[in-house]
Formats: sequence, C-alpha cells, structure tokens
Amino acid sequence: MVNLQPYTDPMYFIILLLALLPLAIALYFGKRLSWYEVIVSLVFIFLMFNGKKYHEGYAIILFMIWQWLLVWAYTLYRKKSNNTVVFYVATILAIVPLFLVKLAPVAHWTHVSTLLGFLGISYLTFRSVGMILETRDGAIKEFNPWLFLRFMLFMPSISSGPIDRYRRFVKDITTVPDREKYLGMLEKAVWYFFLGFLYKFVLSHILGTLLLPRFESLAILSASVHHGWSWWLVPVMYTYGLDLFFDFAGYSLFAVATSYVMGVELPMNFDKPFLAKNLKDFWNRWHITLSFWFRDYIFMRLVFMMMKKKWFKSRLTTSNIAYIINMLIMGFWHGLHWYYIAYGLFHGVGLVINDAWLRFKKKHKVPHNKFTEVFAIFVTFNVVMVSFLLFSGFLDKLWFK
Amino acid sequence: MKKRGLWWIFGPVIVAFALVMALLLAPFSLIHITQKSTRDSSVSFSKNIFKGEAVKMAAFNDKSERYVPFFGSSELLRLDTMHPSMLAAKYQRNYQPFLLGQAGTESLTHYLGMQEMTPALHKKQAVFIVSQQWFTKKNTKVFFPEFYSPLQTVDWLTHIKQITPTDRFIAQRLLQQKQIKDSTFYNHMIIKISDNKPLSKTDINLLRFRHRVLLREDQLFSNFSRSENWSKHVEPATKKLPAEDNYSLLSQEAERTGARETTNNPFQVKNSFYKYRVKMRLKQLAGSQEKFDYRQSDEYADFQAVLAEFAKQHTDVLFIIQPVNQRWSDYTGLRKNMYYQSVDKVKKQLRSQGFNNIADFSHDGGKNYFMQDTIHMGWQGWVAADKRIKPFLQNGYQPTDYHINNNYLSRDWQNLMPTTKNLNQFK
Repeated sequence: MVNLQPYTDPMYFIILLLALLPLAIALYFGKRLSWYEVIVSLVFIFLMFNGKKYHEGYAIILFMIWQWLLVWAYTLYRKKSNNTVVFYVATILAIVPLFLVKLAPVAHWTHVSTLLGFLGISYLTFRSVGMILETRDGAIKEFNPWLFLRFMLFMPSISSGPIDRYRRFVKDITTVPDREKYLGMLEKAVWYFFLGFLYKFVLSHILGTLLLPRFESLAILSASVHHGWSWWLVPVMYTYGLDLFFDFAGYSLFAVATSYVMGVELPMNFDKPFLAKNLKDFWNRWHITLSFWFRDYIFMRLVFMMMKKKWFKSRLTTSNIAYIINMLIMGFWHGLHWYYIAYGLFHGVGLVINDAWLRFKKKHKVPHNKFTEVFAIFVTFNVVMVSFLLFSGFLDKLWFK
Repeated sequence: MKKRGLWWIFGPVIVAFALVMALLLAPFSLIHITQKSTRDSSVSFSKNIFKGEAVKMAAFNDKSERYVPFFGSSELLRLDTMHPSMLAAKYQRNYQPFLLGQAGTESLTHYLGMQEMTPALHKKQAVFIVSQQWFTKKNTKVFFPEFYSPLQTVDWLTHIKQITPTDRFIAQRLLQQKQIKDSTFYNHMIIKISDNKPLSKTDINLLRFRHRVLLREDQLFSNFSRSENWSKHVEPATKKLPAEDNYSLLSQEAERTGARETTNNPFQVKNSFYKYRVKMRLKQLAGSQEKFDYRQSDEYADFQAVLAEFAKQHTDVLFIIQPVNQRWSDYTGLRKNMYYQSVDKVKKQLRSQGFNNIADFSHDGGKNYFMQDTIHMGWQGWVAADKRIKPFLQNGYQPTDYHINNNYLSRDWQNLMPTTKNLNQFK
C-alpha cells in the first residue's frame, strides 16, 4: 500500500495538486466544496498513517476523540461557570498525551510511544490548548464539532504547522475569497511552492545531506585527539543552522502554499529570521506561529498572573522571569534532553540580556546608524547559530556518546 | 495590483515543466567527455561516477586508451607510487586501470555496478581485488545505501531476459534494503522477480522511460565531480618511479619509500594513518580483533552473484586476494587460522567454478612494506600485484571456461564452516 509522507518527493506534489484541482476550480467560480475538501484531507491523512505507520493512525484517532471530548466538555462547562481549577485541569488533560509522548523516550516506555505517538502530535496539541485558553477568555463561545475537526485536522499543516488560530481559521473556511483575491493567493502559492523547492530540495539537500555529515565526521575525528574540541565545529554549526532554516522554512512554504490553493490564508512561519537585529526581533521572525503561540498563551499570561498576584515588586523582574520560564518551556517541549533545555535557557537568558541592552541603549544614546545595524544583524545571527549548535544535539554526540 | 489571469500565474510553470521534460527526454547526448576528463575519472573515486553510467562507458569505449575495470574497495584509494594506475601510466602499458571501488564497496554494490557496463565486461578483461573484511557475519551492507544507484537497478531489471537463480537472489537481497522497500516503483517489480514472475510489457516500458531520465541526469550531473587525483598523485608519482620498467628497481624504490613513510610506529603503518587513526586508541586496540570472524557471511553469496555475472559475460578476470598487515593483526589478535580458512573458502568458490586466475597474497602480510596500513596493500604489495597484473593484461583476453554452481548462493554455503573437510565435501 502507498504511504505518502507530506512534501517529501515530486510525486507527492503532483498527487496533492491533482487532488486539490476540483476544489481550486470551484473556488475560482466562487464555491467552496467543503465535503470534497474534508474527504481529500482524510484520504491524505490516511495515506500518511497507513502501512507500517498504522499504529500512528490509531494514535491520532484516539487523540482526536480525547481532545474533542475535552474541548466540548470544557465549552459546555464554561457557559455555566468559570472556575480556575477546572480550567487548569482541562488544560493539563489536553497536554497529557503530548507530555507522555515526550517523556516516553527518556523513560524508555516504548509501548507508550507506539500507543500514543504520531507525527504532528505537538501541533495538534497547540491547537486544542489554544482553543481551551480562548474559551476560558470567552473569545470562543460555542463548540462546533464539525469546525473543530476541520480546524484540528487541516491537512496542509497537520504534521508540523504553521499553528493557526481557531477564530481566524473559521473565518477563512466559512467564506469564499472573491476571484481577484483568490487569483492573488494562487499566484503567491506558485511562488511559495517554487521557493520551497529551492529551500528544501536544493539548499537543504546541499547543506544537510551533502555537507553536514562530512563536517560532523571530521569534527568527531579531530575532536577525539583534541579533548572534545575541534575547529570543524564551526562549519558544523553554520551548516546545521542554515539547514535547519531551509528545511523547515521550505516545509512551511509548502504548507502555506497548499492552504492558499484551498482558499485558506494560513499564517507564514518565517520572515527572513537571519536579518533580525536582536534576539527579540529574531523570535518575531523565526517559527513565528510557534513563538507567537508561546508569547500569547504562556508569556503574556505568566506576566499577567505574576503582576496580579504581585509576586515581584519590579515589572522588570517579572518580565525577565517570564522570559526565562517561557523559553524553558519551549526547550522542554522540544524534548527532554539536556541540550534542548540548555537551548531554552540560552534563549531565555539571551532575551533578558537583550532587553537590558535595549534599555541601556535608550538611556545612554548609543550611536545608531547603518553600520551598527549591520553589526547587530551579524551578532544576532552568530548568537542564534551558537544556540542551534546546542539545539542540534551534536555536542551530546561529541562529548557523551 | 494589476489584474492577472490564470495564464499569467500558471503559464511560466507549464513552460518550465515542458522545458525540463524536453531536457530529460531529448534524444541526443548533451555532454562531451574529453580524454583528459576520462583519465581524471579513472582515478577519481567520485560517487557520482561510480553510480553513473555515462562517464564509465565513455572510458571503456575510448579508442585511444584501453581502460580495464579494477573492482575493489578502500585499497584502491591508496594512491601511492607503486599503485597499478601509476605503473600503467608511467610505463605506457597497453592498459590503464579504471578504478571502481572505495571504502565500503562490496560484492552486491559491484554486482549492480556491473549491470550498467556489461559491454565493457563482455569477452574483455577485468581485475577484482577481494578483501576478507567484506565477509563479516553481521552488518555487511551498512554502506550499501551510499553506493546505491537507481540507474543500475533499472539496468539490472531491463537485462533480465530469463529469471535466473542469481536474479532471484539479488531480488531478495535488494528487497531487504530500505531504498528499495520505500520505493513503490522498484518494490513492485523486484517482488515479481523474486517470485519468479516475468515483468509485464508496461513494466518494461516504464523502465525504459525511467532509464532515459536517469541516464540524462547522470550525463548532466556526474560530470560535475572533478577530481585532481591524476595531477596531484599520478603525475608526481610517475616522476619518482624508475625510468625503466624493471622489478628489481621497482622493488628497491618501494623499499625506500616504505621505509621513509613508516617511521613513527612498529607496525609499518604509514605515518599519517598511524597518527590520525591509530595512535590515540592504541591501547584499546590491543586484542580488539580476537573475535573477528570472516568465515560465515552472506557476502559469500553476494560474491557468487558477481562470479555469475562474470561467467555470463565471459569476462577474463584476475582475482587478487589481499592480505592483512601481520604486525598489526598480531597486535590486535586476529586469529590466523580463522583468516586462512576464510581465504580457503573464497578460493574454493573460485577454483571449483573455473576462476583459476588467482593472485593469493594472504600469506605475504608480514613482508616488509607490503602493506600501506593495517589492511590495505601498499608499496611492495603493489609491486607484487603488478607481477601478476602486468602479464595478465598484456597477454590480452583469453577465452573462459566457467561453470557456475548455484549452490554457492545458498545459506548452507554462506554458513559453512570452512574446514578443509567441509570445503572438500561441498558440492
């Protein structure tokens, strides 16, 4: 039986676009074929999780039933009452499957991974947790089982985002863009597909498949004579960091382009992150839907809670603590390994320093011109690259394996 | 924004696809391979060239130079002064090796590689260097993915007229590999071969189409891999070699070079190799090879597939059995008895099927400067090999008389413990 992993080879794109053709033609003529869209999505999701990956198929069904009941139950409850404890319990229950799947490899629970794990569990969890939080806020008032499923299982972004927001998504999916707008979306879709091809199949291939393994083996070879250090770590760092970007940005472009063909304006995930002028700017440009999710649902809420409860006197301490907790949680989310957690801590501390510097700059009238901007971009880029080297886990392999 | 129609958006895409298809399917060759680039590629070890067909066939069809395929593995990379490529170039012999192999190439990879160069093997000569290290019990195919070439697989499939036991065996071997398992296209056809069912007309047509596209890709991309080995290694070496093609002079030069380049260790291992690959782990490596065993391995059956292909093409082959560095194997505790038994097993497989051109150096690993490092032939080793290679290739093609025994594909043979008695009994 055919198993189709999203956006992996030319055949996938041909099959995908042929399958979406009736949908696109209908949109062009001002109709949205909801049923057809759902069937195509389900077929593609099925082809992702069939064959040897059948256990992931069962896991996603189990997961969806769980989240569906949870969000439904919470919405019903929220209409009547608004107890904080209930809200926390609901959020924790929504995170439990993801938490177990992340814990499983460290605790060596292989059966948990096979039972609950599937490609994309993180991204689906983000979506449903987001819905619970917005229901708590009163922004989402009704539970529509049909729209919930379409939101959660929106095919283009099911495996690795971008992470959309429910209310935004529903607005798109329940309307039809007019012809001019849809043509504009198609034009962008073509551009994004081809840019994605360049990123993922050319640049990421050169960096990740051709260069990186060579640099890594040279680094390992030379580090074994030089107490764990080697100049080869420098090319390892840059190739890994750039590959990470081109691979993920390429994938995200495919997801966005596909959603445009389906008449949905999925948000973009990257905005020239390596041109960021400081770390804060970087997080506004890198994996945007994730970092905004963390900003809105973790950072802001933490700050708000800490201010309300007056844990710290100064607003500065509050925001600094919130930065570090926020980034640490992101680190833990990547996986329970020291290097992911160190990566989170690195960025948390980095943001604190970044903030301090910005305040210092304001106060002391530090010169600002074209040259300092280029310098800022250069420094930010290199700081980010160092953090990606940490993130890659290569140091773990080099030193502890 | 200016109003744009569908044609504006999709026109360029359609044109681009049409151009790519035209490029891939154009019925004429798009490259010109010069004699210099052929010479460079004969010592390039480029993976693209190894996996491809265009450059290799251009070399074997070269009118001005007779390129002979040298199959082997990592020893071919040891481009020292007495390497076969250097000797042939220096003394303007009537042949020039085309080196096919590098670290990790074993029989299965060579079998597939031979599929795309059958005209170069048919009633022609070849040299095949065997390393006992191929014949390990487990993980014999770890490097296979690196050298896997869809083009070769297509060549193999299209060459099958009547499904032979070798074809079925190769099919089963390939079906264990991830690249094949994951590809619906190949998986489906190779399962047919493994089930002894001929391919359909559609299959053949699909294969022809695929071959055309892959060959074009090969023509376009394998030319990219430039190698400077010829100018960096072969040319300087030819300046160092004695002017006259004379074995006592060559041997003296080999002795001198060997002595000069193995000064930092007692194993007569080349200095650079010792420094980077051995020195820091020297203590851990003592006795590290006591458990090595080359006597039972599925590699014996893969090797049989290679022999069957040589027989099918009536190729006149010289087999070279490479020794191990005895000083090193004594230190690491490689069992001599085990090693010689595995050599006997290879030789039995060769002799009993009529492959009688065997240069067995397995007993020479202790001679001075015979090895360049732990398991690869070097200076004196290459001179000794040349004493067999030169007459073999200069005499030219001799008609062959091989008689293939398919029992050598069996598990019984793969797992046979090669005691003298067992080897004599195996039929």
